[in-house]
Amino acid sequence: MNESTRSEAPYSFGKRNSSSALYDRIFTGLVWGIGILVILFIVGLLFMLLKNGLPKLTWDFLYSIPSEIEEGGGIGPALFNSFYLLAISLIISIPIGLAAGIYLAEFAPNNKLIDFVRICVEGLSSVPSIIFGLFGIALFVEMFQIGLTILGGAISLAFLNLPMLTRITEESIRAVPVEMKNASFALGSTHLQTIRRVLIPVALNGLITGICLTAGRAFGESAVIILTAGVTTSGVMWDFNLFSPGETLAVHLWYVQSEAIVPDAQEIAQKATSVLIFIVLLINIVFRVPLWLNSRKTKS
Amino acid sequence: MRKWIKSLTAVALAVSLIGGATSAASAASTLKGKIVINGSSALLPLTLQAASEFKKLNPKVKISASAAGSITGPQAVRKGIADIGAVDWDASQDVPGFKKFDGQVANPVAVTVFSAIVHKDVKVSSLTTKQLQDIFSGKITNWKDVGGDDEDIVVVNRKFGSGTRVNFQMKALNGTEFMSKGDNYKEVGSSGDMKTTIETTPNSIGYIDLPYVTSKMKALSINGVAPTEKNVLNGTYKVWGIGYFMTKGKPTGATKAFIEYIQSKTFQNGSLKKLKFIPLASVK
Amino acid sequence: MIEMNQTVQTASAELGNSIRTGSGKSFDRRARLRWANSAFRIACIAAAAFVCLVLFGILFLMFRTGVLTFQEVSFAEFFFSADWDPENGKYGALLFIFGTVALTALTLLISVPFSVLIAVFLAEVTPKWLRNLLRPVLDLLVGIPSVVYGYLGLTVLIPWLRDMTGKDLADGLLAAAIVLTIMVLPTISRVSDDAISAVPKKYRDASYALGSNRFQTIFRVVLPASSRGIVYAVILGMARAIGETMAVVMVIGNTAQIADSLFTPTAVLTSNIVMQISSVEFDSTWNYALYMMGFLLLVISLIMIVAVRFLQKRGVRES
Repeated sequence: MNESTRSEAPYSFGKRNSSSALYDRIFTGLVWGIGILVILFIVGLLFMLLKNGLPKLTWDFLYSIPSEIEEGGGIGPALFNSFYLLAISLIISIPIGLAAGIYLAEFAPNNKLIDFVRICVEGLSSVPSIIFGLFGIALFVEMFQIGLTILGGAISLAFLNLPMLTRITEESIRAVPVEMKNASFALGSTHLQTIRRVLIPVALNGLITGICLTAGRAFGESAVIILTAGVTTSGVMWDFNLFSPGETLAVHLWYVQSEAIVPDAQEIAQKATSVLIFIVLLINIVFRVPLWLNSRKTKS
Repeated sequence: MRKWIKSLTAVALAVSLIGGATSAASAASTLKGKIVINGSSALLPLTLQAASEFKKLNPKVKISASAAGSITGPQAVRKGIADIGAVDWDASQDVPGFKKFDGQVANPVAVTVFSAIVHKDVKVSSLTTKQLQDIFSGKITNWKDVGGDDEDIVVVNRKFGSGTRVNFQMKALNGTEFMSKGDNYKEVGSSGDMKTTIETTPNSIGYIDLPYVTSKMKALSINGVAPTEKNVLNGTYKVWGIGYFMTKGKPTGATKAFIEYIQSKTFQNGSLKKLKFIPLASVK
Repeated sequence: MIEMNQTVQTASAELGNSIRTGSGKSFDRRARLRWANSAFRIACIAAAAFVCLVLFGILFLMFRTGVLTFQEVSFAEFFFSADWDPENGKYGALLFIFGTVALTALTLLISVPFSVLIAVFLAEVTPKWLRNLLRPVLDLLVGIPSVVYGYLGLTVLIPWLRDMTGKDLADGLLAAAIVLTIMVLPTISRVSDDAISAVPKKYRDASYALGSNRFQTIFRVVLPASSRGIVYAVILGMARAIGETMAVVMVIGNTAQIADSLFTPTAVLTSNIVMQISSVEFDSTWNYALYMMGFLLLVISLIMIVAVRFLQKRGVRES
């Protein structure tokens, strides 16, 4: 490239047949090729995941009890447990995560200690999920001796959610234009009032996106649940007892696949897969569409 | 006067009879409790079937059963995670490789028959003890050395802690050590995994208990003796063991009722036999 | 908003200090507000402290349980012996460490070229409508649970590999690396995409003005300019691959041996922990060894995050 530009700078855009132009064409072709390949691959993947399960789904699959020996069981208790654990873990982790994020965005001075705290938060978010499972075992099974329960699983899941929520809160609040904050102060509001009535509503978009991402991840989490909440349910729907075993849908998918006692285990696994993906996609899309519409309104 | 005394006593008798009958019936179904069962995957079909039948009779009892290998049963009982630990050996005694679990009571529940299994396309249908020992210890690596095709043998083993493994090693291999490495060697965690692996991996060999054997795999005869109930009862097939439910101390309450249900004649001679286990009374 | 002008003039010196000015009829309200403010502030500090506490709690508990291994096993044996045979008292974790390193390296080897190309495709080459379609799709892929990828690997990938290579047992490093690549690809692509899009337009304009074509612009200007962001993306992907458990455990074979080929059943730190944790007594050397392996994983992930922070700091200083 250097030769062509050094000596012939004014005429180089007239040159179309040097080797670099050839590379350009090859490269464009390669990138387009890979791009199309990846799109096809993603579509194929989603298609494959859903094609076996989705057509066979029936409503009572979703709420009937898993059958122990015969065919025709459902995923009711596991599905309920998934939502129940998710709800409890969000109830625990959203207030703490939000408060920590607000602290880092608003109250924290800019010194080395706070840098260290930020590294801690990012470090916690990079911890592999199985470590939270081991931590949960050491805490709930050994120290508190309560065995494998929904409560233990939900709290371990809450630990998993905390760093993501903190970081997302901090970023969303930082993204609010400073003028709005100053305007609020100028009107005479206290810091708390500013946070409550200006910053959070404006940052709500980012906050909800973050909560949805976290919820989606927690919904599909399996290693933590296996180690802290077990691989069985109590066998009845709508069991709100915090101390019963808490198998979730993701765990049930893995377990029914590996235990393989019922004759239609593979089919149940396929149907459970489609339900799982469907719900995760739902959490990610359904909550973000109104936000996207909202942001289009406020943008232009 | 006598007439209404007679009718009064008749009515009182009838009421007490009906009352007694209903209270007896509701006494059976007011049994409450929660039973958590962990442990052996070989016994799991039995546990699940008994649980579903027991729950129909006692709707207020909640039973949840799972399996991760026999050793997890008594361990879960010791940790307080489970009420019953299903094991394929008597865990209140010392067994080669595993110490006894103090303070736990072994309640026998069934006789489990184990068998060597191969993928359905393997042409071999019977192996001698020596051949089994050599295959599972890695000395024989090709099916043609034992009468099959010229294909590498894929050995599938159960991981440590499995009761099926303990029983198979003691009774079919007479204590020979398993191989532990190799390109064609794999370990799986439960009977269900073993079943899925053997069904889908060509040229594979493993071992499992009879309730899991399906038409997609072949159960091998050992020294020419087929793994059937008849051969166990007449003593020619020796690869079997007794399954136990371990409890912390003597079982009480719902747990006791459940174990007694499994040990009852109706269950032993009914569902238990249908699942391909053998009633305890047949071998005692 | 119209009244703001007057308020600004009269209260310009009191930005945020409205509660500190003296007493008066509204003293109660002021005191209440002040109390609420402090209480909220303390609550936030407590929350941030709690998050740090969780991290330290995890580090401490893992270390305390893991270090008990060394009562019975020597340091050298744990880290340098590849013989993992706990039934016979051998606790050599080298083979798992090797497995994790080899699997991660293989995954990155396959996924990074593809991811960067896809990121370039997204950021530079696609028309706007396609870009707005593909970006959310990739984001969605990031959210799919790992068990699903593991299940796909088990039911689709392994039989396919079996047919392709003729081997009976296709479990091993290659199968696990392919599954992990599919998992990690969306993450690395999207973060690289953000980094590439963040390169200022003037760099590209300058490069075009000098007469280079698109290929040269991308390779010699845009990619080097976004290299720090791409490295960040790769490290994120690496962290995800190292810590992945369920997808790996379904396709890797779970045998305690060092893999000498791409198709040998083997094990990594995460898969071994999840396979063996339920069958060990908590107070046994085996359990302590598993916790020690978990601690190793923890330390590796934390080191990577610190390295990323360090890189970002240097980047900020330089630019």
